[in-house]
Amino acid sequence: MSSHAGPAGSDNRIVAHGFDGTWAQLDGRTTLALPPAGAVLANNNFEAAQAVWAHATGERETLIASPSRIGDDQALELRRSGLAVVRGEQVEPALIDRAPEVGRIWLLTSGSTGRPKQVAHTLESLTTVRGEQPPRTWLCPYATGAYAWWQVVTMSLSLPGQDVLFVEPGQMDSWPQQALDAGVTAASGTPTFWRQALWRSAETVAQLDLRQVTLGGEPVDQSILDRLHEVFPKARVSWIYASSEAGAAIAVHDGRAGFPTAWLDREVNGRPRLSVQDDELIISSQHAAEGMSGAIRTGDHVEVADERVLITGRIASDEINVGGSKASAAKVRAVLLEHPKVAWATVRGRKAPLVGNVVTAQVVLDAPDAVSDADLVAWCAERLPDYAVPRRLRLLPEIPIKETLKSDV
Amino acid sequence: MSTLSRDRVRTMMGEVLSAQGKDLPSDDDTRLNAIGFRSLDFSELALRVEDELDAELNFDAPGLRSVETVSDVLDFIDQLQSA
Repeated sequence: MSSHAGPAGSDNRIVAHGFDGTWAQLDGRTTLALPPAGAVLANNNFEAAQAVWAHATGERETLIASPSRIGDDQALELRRSGLAVVRGEQVEPALIDRAPEVGRIWLLTSGSTGRPKQVAHTLESLTTVRGEQPPRTWLCPYATGAYAWWQVVTMSLSLPGQDVLFVEPGQMDSWPQQALDAGVTAASGTPTFWRQALWRSAETVAQLDLRQVTLGGEPVDQSILDRLHEVFPKARVSWIYASSEAGAAIAVHDGRAGFPTAWLDREVNGRPRLSVQDDELIISSQHAAEGMSGAIRTGDHVEVADERVLITGRIASDEINVGGSKASAAKVRAVLLEHPKVAWATVRGRKAPLVGNVVTAQVVLDAPDAVSDADLVAWCAERLPDYAVPRRLRLLPEIPIKETLKSDV
Repeated sequence: MSTLSRDRVRTMMGEVLSAQGKDLPSDDDTRLNAIGFRSLDFSELALRVEDELDAELNFDAPGLRSVETVSDVLDFIDQLQSA
């Protein structure tokens, strides 16, 4: 055991880009030049873990992101705001002289609504898993510095027994074997991450002795929950709704998509208040980023069915106007995913003459030639109004995935 | 930009219809409502042409015109390709 007087999870094991030790053992292993107020553009999770540990044990102001998230203009803005930009051993100094805002952690929003913006947090506001938890070894495949990444990091820092295997973005093909080797028992990822994992390496993935499977970051549909229950019968399968602005607001463990309507407009001490206005999810949460208190319009579309509130997708990208009739991309996608041979699907509008837009889809099948594109269109035609049936349907050879682990915004 | 021949576009129009279990008659004067070729079908045909050419057509360029027969559809696609 370490005698380090650091966070409660100091002795938890982390595996990150060749490093296999405890958080506390990062002391003396620093390869980074870390100023008191810095934006660390981490090349890998070992560098990111060093920045986390330095922040948790020092008096610092920190932003952590992968280099691909920060362009030259944004790096300059960060320096103008008083943060040095750290790239390995190289430090581009801040352009104003100010004291660090001790304890401040900056996150960048996902950028789905435009240019990434900074959101203010602390280790405390990012820590949403509390209380005694069974010992776990977590898989963390999220992009360095993203809200979901911090969720896993803060859990490991604050709760003894929560070890973490970090997956590098370039290792998305090989993580199942790494996870087996590291004894991973819990894993968190987007629905796209799970679909891709089961599609690419179902046999290896199924060997994992998972006791907790968590989904988030994208709308979670019943078909992926059912599939994960089937592959990991011993696991609790949960989905969470969280964002860098609203914080972790919803956690559902009953294996069903959506959350109970009884949770709407309910005042429970310590819990966020959830409501719906004009089919949009509204959240008031104490885990929200600073400056985001009060009701946050999430921009996410909801639908109520069978006493469940289903989050179906982004309002801005869901509605496809086809000659005056409004098709929901989420509904079309749901119909495609109901097909037993479809592993993944995305739906968009495409500009077209006469009707303005038509519905188009991209689909990945369980196996090549499992079903024809014409059969899939016929499947949709039996279940959707004419205007919502995809008029162009492309079969892709594999599931596309971005660094955010999402494939669709 | 390369263009597709009228014959090729006609074949593609037949494919749009056959996907719905309908046939394209040989007479280009056939009225569209007689064969169940609707606005959405026309849109799909235009997108098929775009995909085959691997180029975007300028859907805003041609003025609104009446598209009532098979021949009108083929004329309109011609017009889109040259806009």
